[in-house]
Amino acid sequence: MDLKIKRKSTRTVNTSNLLESYPHDLQMYKIPPVEDIRLQEFETLALERLTLLRCLATATTLKGLRIYSDEWKDFVINELRTQGLKYYANLCDMSGCGTNESDLLARRKDHIGHFILRLAYCRTEELRRWFISKELELFKMRFMTMSPKAVEEFFKINQLCYTSISDEEKNELMPYLRESTMHQKIDSLKFYKVKFYEVLDLVKARKVYIQSGYAYIPDKDFISVLSAQYRIHLKQSLAIACHHLGEIEQDERLVGLLKGLHQSYSGNDYSDTKVIIPIESLDSLSVKSFPLCMRQLHEQLRLSHHLKHGGRLQYGLFLKGIGVTLEDSLRFWRDEFTKIMELDKFEKQYAYNVRYNYGKEGSKRNYTAFNCLKIINNNVGPGDCHGCPYRHCDPSNLKNRLKGYGIENQALNDIVDMAKKGHYQIACSKYFDAAHNTDLGLGINHPNQYFEESQKLLNVSNKVEIKKETKIVKKEQTNTIEDMDFDEISEWS
Amino acid sequence: MVSGFAKKNVCKVKEVILINPIYDSFRWLACGNSPQPLSNRELSFTLADDVYIRYLSICDQKEFQNLLQKKCPHKLDIGAVYNNKPSISRHDAVVLARELVFDIDLTDYDEVRTCCQEAKVCDKCWKFMVVACEIIHKSLKDDFGFQNILWVFSGRRGIHCWVSDYEARTLDSPGRAAVADYLCLIIGGDNQNKKVHLGSDNLHSSIRRAVSIIDKYFDDIIQDQEFLGTSSRLQKFLKMIPEDALREQVEKSLEKMSESSLERWKTFISIYDSYLRENGNAIRKIKYLVEEIKIQFCYPRLDVNVTKGFNHLLKSPFSIHPKTGKVSIVFKPNNARNMKLDEIPTIHTLLDDSSPDNVQHQNNMRNAVKNFQEVVFSLEKAEAIRKRNYANTTLDF
Ligand code: SF4
Ligand SMILES: [Zn+2]
Repeated sequence: MDLKIKRKSTRTVNTSNLLESYPHDLQMYKIPPVEDIRLQEFETLALERLTLLRCLATATTLKGLRIYSDEWKDFVINELRTQGLKYYANLCDMSGCGTNESDLLARRKDHIGHFILRLAYCRTEELRRWFISKELELFKMRFMTMSPKAVEEFFKINQLCYTSISDEEKNELMPYLRESTMHQKIDSLKFYKVKFYEVLDLVKARKVYIQSGYAYIPDKDFISVLSAQYRIHLKQSLAIACHHLGEIEQDERLVGLLKGLHQSYSGNDYSDTKVIIPIESLDSLSVKSFPLCMRQLHEQLRLSHHLKHGGRLQYGLFLKGIGVTLEDSLRFWRDEFTKIMELDKFEKQYAYNVRYNYGKEGSKRNYTAFNCLKIINNNVGPGDCHGCPYRHCDPSNLKNRLKGYGIENQALNDIVDMAKKGHYQIACSKYFDAAHNTDLGLGINHPNQYFEESQKLLNVSNKVEIKKETKIVKKEQTNTIEDMDFDEISEWS
Repeated sequence: MVSGFAKKNVCKVKEVILINPIYDSFRWLACGNSPQPLSNRELSFTLADDVYIRYLSICDQKEFQNLLQKKCPHKLDIGAVYNNKPSISRHDAVVLARELVFDIDLTDYDEVRTCCQEAKVCDKCWKFMVVACEIIHKSLKDDFGFQNILWVFSGRRGIHCWVSDYEARTLDSPGRAAVADYLCLIIGGDNQNKKVHLGSDNLHSSIRRAVSIIDKYFDDIIQDQEFLGTSSRLQKFLKMIPEDALREQVEKSLEKMSESSLERWKTFISIYDSYLRENGNAIRKIKYLVEEIKIQFCYPRLDVNVTKGFNHLLKSPFSIHPKTGKVSIVFKPNNARNMKLDEIPTIHTLLDDSSPDNVQHQNNMRNAVKNFQEVVFSLEKAEAIRKRNYANTTLDF
């Protein structure tokens, strides 16, 4: 990418050039911008793009709206308007291929803004993942609001040609298509044949008929093919951008700006706590300050002296995140596990994993605790009790558990209600309020954040002794377990 | 297992690996590696004293043999193909290919099977594996179009499946995750009573097909397992019914009747049918309740992490299970239902011609090797075709 920064510039807008570069509201961002741009504009465009992406995140996690639903879309567009980002609101509302100057200028900003954020968000796996998922949501939303004519244009411009299957073939497959495709009026739709791995999101959700390796999709579902391509393209571009960061960062003005950008949002990853939590306090902390997902694991461990792999991972990394040292952690797990097994077996089969979580074994990465999104989307199978209870417990089980924890009826019903509707993190926030007797309505997106907020509240009123470690831990490159990117395509709508 | 016996075993293990289809294993591995060199494949050994060595690799058959002879491994695991020779110090190693694998273990059926728990297995619960194998095999072939599928007994209480088609081997992790999720219908941990939710739209063709496979075995399995045979099992079953009024009706009737699960099940079905007839609006919630329960009882329970993970090591075919002594034989999916657990060859009987089972086990061993060779052969053929096509297309340019 070749963004030159100028302090002053005498740029004149040339409409015909713009029309050539930006024929359509929706772009696949294949070619980076080459024009010179002023630092001032650079910064503005970056922040505006960030606001846009942030808006999408708010709509899903804080407002609990179902992703891509009408309410969700309306919220996003209204929010963009109130934030003064009319041009994004227009781009998102009814993407098309108008040729007004205002359309063209908006597309240019969209283009540049996207590429600047690539630079800010390419530096770690975590950031890349956040960026890709938000950009994809944006892309999908815009594609879905396009008129059929605009869609057609879009395909033409991007040289996407596919031929539909013959009527004969379609008739033959009709019963299966009807059964397995999630659309009305199948008879009137044209179907296309693509390899199953081009539409993984549909395969995953069993929303498409597949036969002998091919998926049969109607044109509406082409968004799956496109977003899969777009995802791969983005992923590769971010990796490349990351490689070339050095060159870009020769300009210090940019370094500060770019670094500041993502820190202003991506949130803490809880990989370098400066607090030490003694394991002796875990029983009481689990009651006072653990979110339900962790409290459940803690209690299960105390009860059965064992947790399955998923539980050990989720809980182990959380403990590390709140400030349990490696030595303490080993002692903690050992004490429990050896109640049902020989010490030798523990050392051979489990100690490795504990050290692994702390980056002392295997690939020696400093793994970070899972955030809610990851926990919510995790697989929970028979015998498991990890995951997010708001999602992975039957309502009746959830109710009983909350009752057992002394949650009042009113609050209890509220929480269970939210969970039933699929607003897991909001349920969690309501639980926080009930457990702490407040009504902060926090947006919970990380169990460790839950913990810290809770500690903050409790420590104001009564000082719990927590030693501050004086040594500042140098922050290393952090990685989530095995860079599990397979959960990227999951949505829990 | 204890000293003297274990020691003797180790040597025998070696022998078995050596007499048996080492050449075929080698061909299978080599072919599944292409176009990367064989030496980029990670192997790992578990030695007699539970010492576990990772990051081994071989370049040719000779080396393979030598390595086996030298280390006498108890167990041989097969990992992924990397961009380089695997080694512990390479953190930049990238996985390039790996068979698409599935691991189904009877311990994941503990909440439904009643004949055995944990490590135990019997011919009754083996039927779960038969169902699993048939459903998954059909889906891999018909839906995904895979051809080179190897089924292996895991040595104790489960089965493994290896898909070696080029497309499967090079499938990336989102692709693997999607296949796993497509095949995974039972979701939820110990806190969820009802683990299957099919909604109220049409049933996806693959689910409909799976249910029809289950139906072939269902009566048999329900009688073996007596899913509804005791009052505590009945209570567990009732929790799967989300509609209160229906649940109460079912509870009342089933409690009164004989304890035969099959009878109880039939009564449940007829109550369900008439309930639906009378309460048209309940249909949204319980349209597929019967299918959901059948699935929860009988549908394959995959260890999805094994399938999703790119670099999970999995036991090689024809390994010897250290505890049971059983050989991880290769079987044909359409023959799974005729397999009897005690007819699976063990190292002990194979090497002891005075054992009464010796002849039969020898026989079964030979068949297993033949099954393996068939898969290897078809894979080699597919690879040859792929290479030829590849050469043709590259010449075109
Ligand atoms: S919302 Fe997050 S913190 Fe709360 S229980 Fe679920 S996973 Fe844990
Ligand atoms: Zn059994």
